[in-house]
Amino acid sequence: MPSATLLGQSILSGVFIGALYGLLGLGLSLSWGMLRQVNLAHFALAFLGGYLTFQLSNRLDPFVTLAVTVPLFFLAGVALHWFLSRYAADTLNTLLVTFGLTSIIEAGIHWFWTADFHRMDSVYANMRWKAGIFYIPLPEVVTLGFALLLCGAMWAALRFTDFGRAARAMTEDAAMAAAFGVNEKRLGYVISGLASAFAAVAGVCLALSHTLAPVQIYAWMGVVFAAVMIGGLGSALGPLLAGLLIGVSEAITMAVTAPTWAPLVSFSLLIAIIVLRPAKF
Amino acid sequence: MRTSGPPVLELRNVRVSYGAAPAVSDVSLDVAAGALVVVVGPNGAGKTTLINAIAGVHRIDTGELSMDGRSLRQVAPYRFCEHGIALVPEGRRLFTTLSVRENLELGSYRGAARARRAQSLAEICTLFPVLEAKLEAPAGTLSGGQQQMLAIGRALMSRPQLLLLDEPSMGLAPLLVDQIMDAVVALRRDAGTTVLLVEQNAVAALSIADRGYVIETGRMGHAGTGAELLRDPAVREAYLGL
Amino acid sequence: MRVAAGFAAFALAFAVVPFLGLPAFYETFMYLLLHAIVLATSWNLLSGYSGYFSFGHGAFFGAGVYTTAALSGKYGWPFLPTLPLAAGAAALLGLLLGAVVFRVRALRGELFALLTLAVTFVLATIMLNTVDGGPGIQVMAAIPKIAPSASGTLYLMMLAIAVGTLWISYAVFYSRFGTGLFAIHDDEDVAEVMGVPTYRFKLAAFCLSCALAGLAGGIHAVFVSYVTVAETFSIALAVNVVLMSALGGTRHWLGPAIGAIVITALLYACTAGEVAVLGRALVGVILIAVIVLMPHGILGKVLKRREGPVVHPAPVAAPAVITRSGPILVARAVSKAFSGVQALSEATFEVQRGEILGLVGPNGSGKSTFINVVSGHYTADSGSLIFEGEELIGRAAHRVARAGIARTYQIPRPFPHLSVLDNVALPPMFGLVTMDRASAQAQAWRWLEFTKLADKAHRFPSELNLHQLKFLELARALASRPKLLFLDEVLSGLTSTEMDEAIQLVRAIRDQGATIVFVEHVMRAVMELTDRVVVLTYGRAIAAGAPRDVMRDPQVVDAYLGTAGA
Repeated sequence: MPSATLLGQSILSGVFIGALYGLLGLGLSLSWGMLRQVNLAHFALAFLGGYLTFQLSNRLDPFVTLAVTVPLFFLAGVALHWFLSRYAADTLNTLLVTFGLTSIIEAGIHWFWTADFHRMDSVYANMRWKAGIFYIPLPEVVTLGFALLLCGAMWAALRFTDFGRAARAMTEDAAMAAAFGVNEKRLGYVISGLASAFAAVAGVCLALSHTLAPVQIYAWMGVVFAAVMIGGLGSALGPLLAGLLIGVSEAITMAVTAPTWAPLVSFSLLIAIIVLRPAKF
Repeated sequence: MRTSGPPVLELRNVRVSYGAAPAVSDVSLDVAAGALVVVVGPNGAGKTTLINAIAGVHRIDTGELSMDGRSLRQVAPYRFCEHGIALVPEGRRLFTTLSVRENLELGSYRGAARARRAQSLAEICTLFPVLEAKLEAPAGTLSGGQQQMLAIGRALMSRPQLLLLDEPSMGLAPLLVDQIMDAVVALRRDAGTTVLLVEQNAVAALSIADRGYVIETGRMGHAGTGAELLRDPAVREAYLGL
Repeated sequence: MRVAAGFAAFALAFAVVPFLGLPAFYETFMYLLLHAIVLATSWNLLSGYSGYFSFGHGAFFGAGVYTTAALSGKYGWPFLPTLPLAAGAAALLGLLLGAVVFRVRALRGELFALLTLAVTFVLATIMLNTVDGGPGIQVMAAIPKIAPSASGTLYLMMLAIAVGTLWISYAVFYSRFGTGLFAIHDDEDVAEVMGVPTYRFKLAAFCLSCALAGLAGGIHAVFVSYVTVAETFSIALAVNVVLMSALGGTRHWLGPAIGAIVITALLYACTAGEVAVLGRALVGVILIAVIVLMPHGILGKVLKRREGPVVHPAPVAAPAVITRSGPILVARAVSKAFSGVQALSEATFEVQRGEILGLVGPNGSGKSTFINVVSGHYTADSGSLIFEGEELIGRAAHRVARAGIARTYQIPRPFPHLSVLDNVALPPMFGLVTMDRASAQAQAWRWLEFTKLADKAHRFPSELNLHQLKFLELARALASRPKLLFLDEVLSGLTSTEMDEAIQLVRAIRDQGATIVFVEHVMRAVMELTDRVVVLTYGRAIAAGAPRDVMRDPQVVDAYLGTAGA
């Protein structure tokens, strides 16, 4: 058994990584739950966002790069929705098409930034606080902050605004929502754009606290899908809560056994939830 | 009888085909301002296809559909409500995961009705007092009769000129059917709303109608006042085969 | 014969390669080509034929790789005996997974894809932490000497498996098994109701698919001689086999092989450095283009153009004489509720042998639920349904079909990707008497003639109008020669003339000796056709008897027209 300090630090890092799972899951949850599009390319987009931040970071502050990437990614999301709603006949096809898109983006990243691991140097990289016996690194805190802020804001928007009511109504019965005046096409574009914009924010967090490499794109898929499916499709807070849960259980698994066992947790959870509750998706 | 007013809704030789649902063809129909018009017919005759086409849920293939003299053929589905049309669909089709209040609020999502949302909501609660106590409950948890009231309330939130009601009595006990019909009559009397009601329950519907149409296998058959049709043997034949 | 010659020519042409003394480069390329053909074709057996798109083919391939690698690399086994174990390990994995997954009704499409993707990572993690341990496994196995070189031998072995896999793919494609899988692809519920044992078929296809992938993995372990988890359980493999099959055409036995050749050649052309990246991007572009522009693949286009001769066989055999009388189906207190709604509430009535029974009632009165309960789609909450002395409740739908019960659907549900002929040929393969594909087709022609659809035999359901689709439903139900036939609103949506034709047809069906339960809202037809009528309201049978008497019953009038005076 690891010491209490190590275990505590592990749980803390589990919370931080779980926040990133939730942040990555937010966009996925919206596009799958509300638009019936399983967007595998969401991960590639987030990495693209990370690489763009990395590229711009020698001239701009990482957070300032968001002013560039967020609008850009919003437009990319709009374009993706146009393409998928026009050409991908069913949910399985959206998955296949975005798998193809993932390959293209991955190859693009590979071509431009090579297959090497990159680590962004920023003023924030080495900032950390010591709270009692634990170290709290700033980039991770920022990630947690973004996750709480965006998931919370999205939750509130879905819960309390006309946009949110329309979006949830459209999810349940698009034809009826239209009969009551919801312009489902435009709403679809907005949701897809938002989902992509969230990938841009997740990208900054990836660049701040993780190494970037094209192969890493696939490493996040299973965990984040598990978080989204456990948290509930179309939900904004669900993926974050599930992400935190998974992050912490992974961290404990790693501390107790070996880091290489970590993927087993999330993927087993994913399998279990698909087998036990398939009708929910 | 207010059947002589100018027509609000006009259908001319309308043809609708929607996937494998029963199609309607060559349907012409007038609904006068302030009237309560009923379309009756056995199941599978195309009643729902017809009313959904008027609500913009289905596209019409050929023919003309106009509201207040303005053609709706080029109007996007989500804009139909701007022309004063509101639908109470077959099977209610509430947004079951949304609360009762949210369902009602969605009823005034677009256009001028939005500004009068609070007032409309209060009025609906007066019309259907059971809903007031359940405003924050998910719509899916309501009983069948309450769901039907909510479906009507949702449609009324936009203060429509024309209310389309599709089989409001389906699956409800006779007592509830009476309540619903009473509400429709009251609504028309007090607010002057024009109502187009599609029903399988012919007796209940025709007894409150100014004018009725019989639809059979996608085509319009007899038309007349509600009382005439009630006596018409053709109605019995359509339903009972006698 | 032509196909057998084709297989022989293919095998021979590829078999000479190791003996030509070509540079190793060619042999390697040809090996990879065959390897891709095996993987894509084996993937297609389950995923293409039955529509369960797996993203986990890498896991089953990997199970084979690691079985052979561990046994011969770590425990010094000779190479050949590890191969059946490699296939077996993969098949066992498929069997265990399928036994759980295929029981769950809603687990299809993107969920199955994600699940199999997850299985890949789980297996990879387990392998990494147990058998492999991290650094990878060096496989040094003695390879039997068949060809001049060791790699030549492996090449010949892979060739043998490729030929075998293609042969299996071909044989399944033209078999009863294959037809069942295609029906599962198009509409699993309908397939089950028509007698296809869907669970067993899916499981069998999955095991076969996994075993072949495992076998290829066993050989590949020795071919690469050094295996690592990252290389073996790669997502790229899963994507590539999906792409190859989709490109070539998943609905043709040869499609995946064609796609495998194209994609492998393409990837091989882009192996060096910078170009490798281009290759991967190109794979992505092609995948998107294929899904969007060519959803049926290269061979899909070929299939669409297929046009066979139209047969006009003699009218259907002489009417069966009904010898016995008495009830054929007895429903006693059958109840079924859906989340609070009591769709059937102790429904009790009988269907007499040889009659046309009208089952009528207002909308939502439980008629469709009753048909769904009889056909095994739903299980009743309580009550009993005795068909010819045997209880139907609790029986799997395909076993109900085998007992001689058929149904039509109110909204026609043909198998959209099967030709009209194949649609009608399916039920005889799985009905009361199970036939092979050829006799089933002969049978189908007769029912197509009977329903006047023979000229449309080679068309697809999407090319038929509603009237023809309704008749296709009838032909399909009849082709299984049922004893009891449920007709669910066959007349709805038809014009008056079409309706008259349909009524004639229903009469002719009864004259064939089938008992018919006729669910219909067009009362004119009910009056004209039925011997007896049972009226359902609120899930309960409230009246039964001669049509004219029953429809005058005040209770029935109430149920239909509403309460007088309301």
